[in-house]
Amino acid sequence: MTALLDIRDLRLGFRTLAGQIDVLHGIDLAIRAGEQVALVGESGSGKSVTARIILGLLQETRSARVSGRVGFDGRDVMMMSPKERAALRGIEMSMIFQDPTSSLNPTFTIERQFAEVMRRPDRKLTRAACRERAARMLDEVSIPDTGRVLDAYPFQLSGGMNQRVMIAMALANNPKLLLADEPGTALDVSVQAQTLDLMRDLVTRHGTSVLFISHNMGVVREFADRIYVIYRGRIVEEGPTPAVFADPGHAYTRALLKAVPRITGRGLPDVPEVSDDFFDPMVRHGGTS
Amino acid sequence: MSPVIRILARRFGISLIVLVGVSMLIFAIARIIPGDPARIALGPNATAEQVAAIRAEMHLDEGILAQYGYFVRDVLRGDLGTSLYTNRPVTFDIRQFLPATLELVILAGILMVGIGLPLGILAARYRGRWPDHLIRVLTLLTVSAPSFVWAVILMLIFAFYLPLFPVAGRLSDSYDITRVTGFLTVDTILAGNWGAFVDALHHLILPSVALALSGIGQAARLTRANMVETYDKPYIEMAQAYGFFPSRIARSYAFKPSLIPSLTIIGLDFAAMLGNAFLVEAVFAWPGLSRYGVAVILRKDLNAIMGTVLVIALTFIVVNIVVDLLIAFLNPRIRHSTRGAAS
Repeated sequence: MTALLDIRDLRLGFRTLAGQIDVLHGIDLAIRAGEQVALVGESGSGKSVTARIILGLLQETRSARVSGRVGFDGRDVMMMSPKERAALRGIEMSMIFQDPTSSLNPTFTIERQFAEVMRRPDRKLTRAACRERAARMLDEVSIPDTGRVLDAYPFQLSGGMNQRVMIAMALANNPKLLLADEPGTALDVSVQAQTLDLMRDLVTRHGTSVLFISHNMGVVREFADRIYVIYRGRIVEEGPTPAVFADPGHAYTRALLKAVPRITGRGLPDVPEVSDDFFDPMVRHGGTS
Repeated sequence: MSPVIRILARRFGISLIVLVGVSMLIFAIARIIPGDPARIALGPNATAEQVAAIRAEMHLDEGILAQYGYFVRDVLRGDLGTSLYTNRPVTFDIRQFLPATLELVILAGILMVGIGLPLGILAARYRGRWPDHLIRVLTLLTVSAPSFVWAVILMLIFAFYLPLFPVAGRLSDSYDITRVTGFLTVDTILAGNWGAFVDALHHLILPSVALALSGIGQAARLTRANMVETYDKPYIEMAQAYGFFPSRIARSYAFKPSLIPSLTIIGLDFAAMLGNAFLVEAVFAWPGLSRYGVAVILRKDLNAIMGTVLVIALTFIVVNIVVDLLIAFLNPRIRHSTRGAAS
């Protein structure tokens, strides 16, 4: 079975006055159709830039040097023109962000923002059709009183509500791939859990592939079929979620697992900032999820 | 109560307080300036009886509060007294000269917004690249010199060395237009005289460009600065992640939220043009209110000074109300807030 997303030897560096700074050192990552995959690592490990390369956004930054292959649905995003890449965004792939409230345009109503998104593939969509479809999408993320929400501005809604709106918006055009960059990290834990549940149901029903970016192994366990652990621009462990949790092979993965806060724990876990064995070779778990 | 009406009511309330303050200031200035207004009005050859009669007529022999009361009553009746300079009612003079200035200031305002904002948008969209550098250098140039310097430079280049525009005045002598509104561009259309309309517009261009140049630069720089800040907001990245066109992102996602902080300053700049017009009108021999204002100040013509100051204060108040309404229109947070508008 071929993968929907097939990343091979992805490298990224930024040119600065002091020379080139390498951020990704040859990443391999694959997502099959309908699969939910997590990319887990600490801040600065290169998770978010990977998502932005898949979207084709970083390629347009002049200081960025990107190489490798980003296969998406049989085509290489790296070989596309900026225009072709833009044509994929919002239609074939979409993204949800960390802080829902500040990621929505403060001067537009929710309805207007939905309309902008839904008119991406079909520019002639009427206002009434947009509103009707947006209401249906909001219904799917369990938003009651959809009319009121559509007429509201982001600042009139709660963070959790905006998160649901953003999920509904991201799936409005039925994309093949959804990139979720630390979704809901800005929300409180219970609301985050609710919305992630909702998102999980929704992508399963739509058969959407997901790349879920997170630093929290606890959240990832609930969500992902398969896990990639990234450390300083290198994948250090890869495997089906149960296998990784049952037998974390890499020292860094074990440190990440230790870092998950536990109610029964004794204060903050003791995790080293850097350790020699964090640079051990990659651990690959066999089998499928 | 509709938020817009609430904003209006609040603004009118504040404006009333400002107006009372302005009237007191104007009144106080008229009393502080040395010399007996009655004596000034009559000239050095008047007899003591004549002066006493005028003093009684002007209520100068009564208490200061009563005098202020008479002053307010007269202003409310639309009576600003007689100008010593022109010997006509001040209200008549203002009606005569204000349209010429407004015509100039309004066109300059249109240029400021119509050229300044697009330049700012362009610079922000191509921030760090050559269109940005070019626009920043040019706008720095325009804000670096006051409008009367530009007036002289423009006049020298485009009216003297390259006689593309008329040197001075509002209309060529060959046209005779009946005065209806005092706005020549309107009156010539009302008269159906297209040649005169083009001629009036032709006369307007140089002075209004001179007046607008620093405003254009200011508006462009302000818009650029606010927009560059907005470009770092998460909703811009989200718009990019959805593949919206860069021009659309610039207009709807970066410009609109950035316009809100810029608008207040642009509004004040616009009102300030009324003051800046003083020197531009002097350079271009433009028969407007500002030139009238200079003339009456030089002649210590109290009634006329008070009238001119009152008109300028009123313009500031009106512009502020308009700006507040525009901001409420642009910013849903204000439009939908349950509390009063943040000003």
